[in-house]
Amino acid sequence: MIDSLYIAWKYLSFNKVKTATLIGCILLIAFLPIALELLLNESEEQLLSRAVSTPLVVGAKGSSLDLVMNTLYYGEEVPELITMEAAQQVAMSGLALPIPMYVRFRARGHPIVGTTLDYLDFRGLQVSKGQSLALLGDCIVGAAAAEALQLKPGDSLVSSPENLFDLAGVYPLKMKVVGILGKSHTSDDLAVFVDLKTAWIIQGLLHGHEDLSKAKDPQVILKQEEKNIVGSAKVYEYTEITEDNIESFHFHGDPGIYPITAVMVVPRDDKSETILRGRYLSKEESHQIVKPEEVIDTLLQNIFRIKNVLDAVISVVGLATVLALLLVFALSLRLRQREMQTIFRLGCRRMTIARLVAAEILIIVLFSAILCMGLVLVVNHYASDLVRMLFIR
Amino acid sequence: MHALKLPMVSRIVWILLLMCIFLPGTCSLSFAEKKAEEKLIIYTVNYPLKYFAERIAGREAQVEFPAPPGMDPAFWMPDAGTIAGYQGADLILLNGAAYAKWIPRVTLPQFRQVNTSAGFKDHYIKIDEAVTHSHGLGGEHSHSGTAFTTWIDFSLAARQAFTIMDALSRKRPDLRDTFLGNYQVLEKELLALDEEIKKMVSKNPDRPLVASHPVYQYFARRYGLHIESVMWEPDEVPTEKQWAELRYGLEGHPAKWMIWEGEPAAASVERLKSMGVGSIVFDPCGNTPENGDFMSVMRKNVENLKPAFQ
Repeated sequence: MIDSLYIAWKYLSFNKVKTATLIGCILLIAFLPIALELLLNESEEQLLSRAVSTPLVVGAKGSSLDLVMNTLYYGEEVPELITMEAAQQVAMSGLALPIPMYVRFRARGHPIVGTTLDYLDFRGLQVSKGQSLALLGDCIVGAAAAEALQLKPGDSLVSSPENLFDLAGVYPLKMKVVGILGKSHTSDDLAVFVDLKTAWIIQGLLHGHEDLSKAKDPQVILKQEEKNIVGSAKVYEYTEITEDNIESFHFHGDPGIYPITAVMVVPRDDKSETILRGRYLSKEESHQIVKPEEVIDTLLQNIFRIKNVLDAVISVVGLATVLALLLVFALSLRLRQREMQTIFRLGCRRMTIARLVAAEILIIVLFSAILCMGLVLVVNHYASDLVRMLFIR
Repeated sequence: MHALKLPMVSRIVWILLLMCIFLPGTCSLSFAEKKAEEKLIIYTVNYPLKYFAERIAGREAQVEFPAPPGMDPAFWMPDAGTIAGYQGADLILLNGAAYAKWIPRVTLPQFRQVNTSAGFKDHYIKIDEAVTHSHGLGGEHSHSGTAFTTWIDFSLAARQAFTIMDALSRKRPDLRDTFLGNYQVLEKELLALDEEIKKMVSKNPDRPLVASHPVYQYFARRYGLHIESVMWEPDEVPTEKQWAELRYGLEGHPAKWMIWEGEPAAASVERLKSMGVGSIVFDPCGNTPENGDFMSVMRKNVENLKPAFQ
């Protein structure tokens, strides 16, 4: 058998291109369904574990999938905005802890999550370096985001403008990185967390500027009335919050009606959850309450329906490839007719020839299997990152 | 002494084990019980709220008010370490009415904050003198326009105390009766002070008064006092310009008494006396008093006020 393997090896190494092509074909046919299965399992696990750990989400009526994807996985699709009144309403009910979320802005490609400290407690997120949020303009960065952006406590991070062409829009805010979160292996690793008020500063709802009653430049004042000073567009709004200017930051209007994207709701018990869900059933109600687990479950069912189609496609392609491989081997045997005759004339039995061909197939399949295993191990190792990068981001 | 015999020891161990199985409370406390036994950590933004919380919660809470002595808590800015203390609290008691200007500028757990004056926010007093401004799309707004010394209207103080009682009861429903009982005692004392001032003022309701600082708005509204304010500091002797302003003010508002936030400088008292104006100390007690507590300071304030209405 060793002789057959040796001769087969010599033959295969002489016909490198043919061998590589055959190995590639088998590798792809074996690797694709396994990798797909791995990634789908990982995405199912990731999506479900986060959805299961988030009891309820309140948001504007509309796509529940957009709402959940934005609130849980910081998806780029921003759901219709609601106001802080929705969170107050939950708090007033006494049935649950509301955690307002404002996931709308980005900083160098990473989502800025405006929320309260309750969120960090709820998710069990710990600051591994630096400290937690304390002042306006502070931000704490997820482990993966910090690594990607090479940030450490004390560095700065500038928010990205929502629209590149909005020249008259709000200036980007230079945030101070005060802490880096420990790895949680969830979407939180890729996010930048700020206080809700800081998110409102990014939007321009809360801002700081020089005291207009003490302004030295007359051009910054448009109109001065008895008890009101109207500022002109020349009023410079601070783009960084420092010890010197923090006192000038103020709200415009009632913060109770400031925008958020969703409220994460943590009910006290099952009964409270049922009562709370019942309160959002009315047709007149402008908000919806969703159970992320149910939304993600529906999404996964769709994904698995797509997976079934993909499996069928891969099976057909696989079958075609196997047939092609058989054809390649059959043609190869025909081309090697003279070679076979020579072996036969040298006194070898037909069985020896069959053993030689079998050894060639064995070597090709073995190589494909080793490579496939290697690739599967790589995919398995990076599955969680790949899933976040490909599906969840 | 005989050493304890082995069978005896094993019998004791067995009895202890059985006790552990059938009487779990005697050996270890369940998680819930431990939680229930833990004291609530409460942080406040001024001393009156600390006093109310301590009176209502009794031994069930640890109440902290970390502002350094001598600092006006309304305009104090805590450092990062102190903010972390507030962040770790079970309850953060706010005065509301734009008190503690630092609150909007820091990150605190949103729903652990309790605005003790939210129940009467429609009755906040707006300060007319504050200049407002507007720019951009936000419209007109003011940076400082609400009077905040709510607790020296003792009826409002009682309402703030009620909010504290309610918040504590939500945190520890099992202790609601204790909190309610303690609150009722405190409420009685506050309303007794309220009644006493009303009676005192009724003897001479039209008497004009002048205050060294504009912090008595709620006090004046509740008890129908006619108070005009200047901007003097008790420990600083006013400038000639400030004296001139006072003289001018007294022409239209002939006050015979000036109410001070703290003990005034002797020179100021003497000069006021020469103008026929007596000095009274009514300490709003925003920060922890050097001596006594909130109630004793307020009782002393009421005593100090009496000559003005005789």
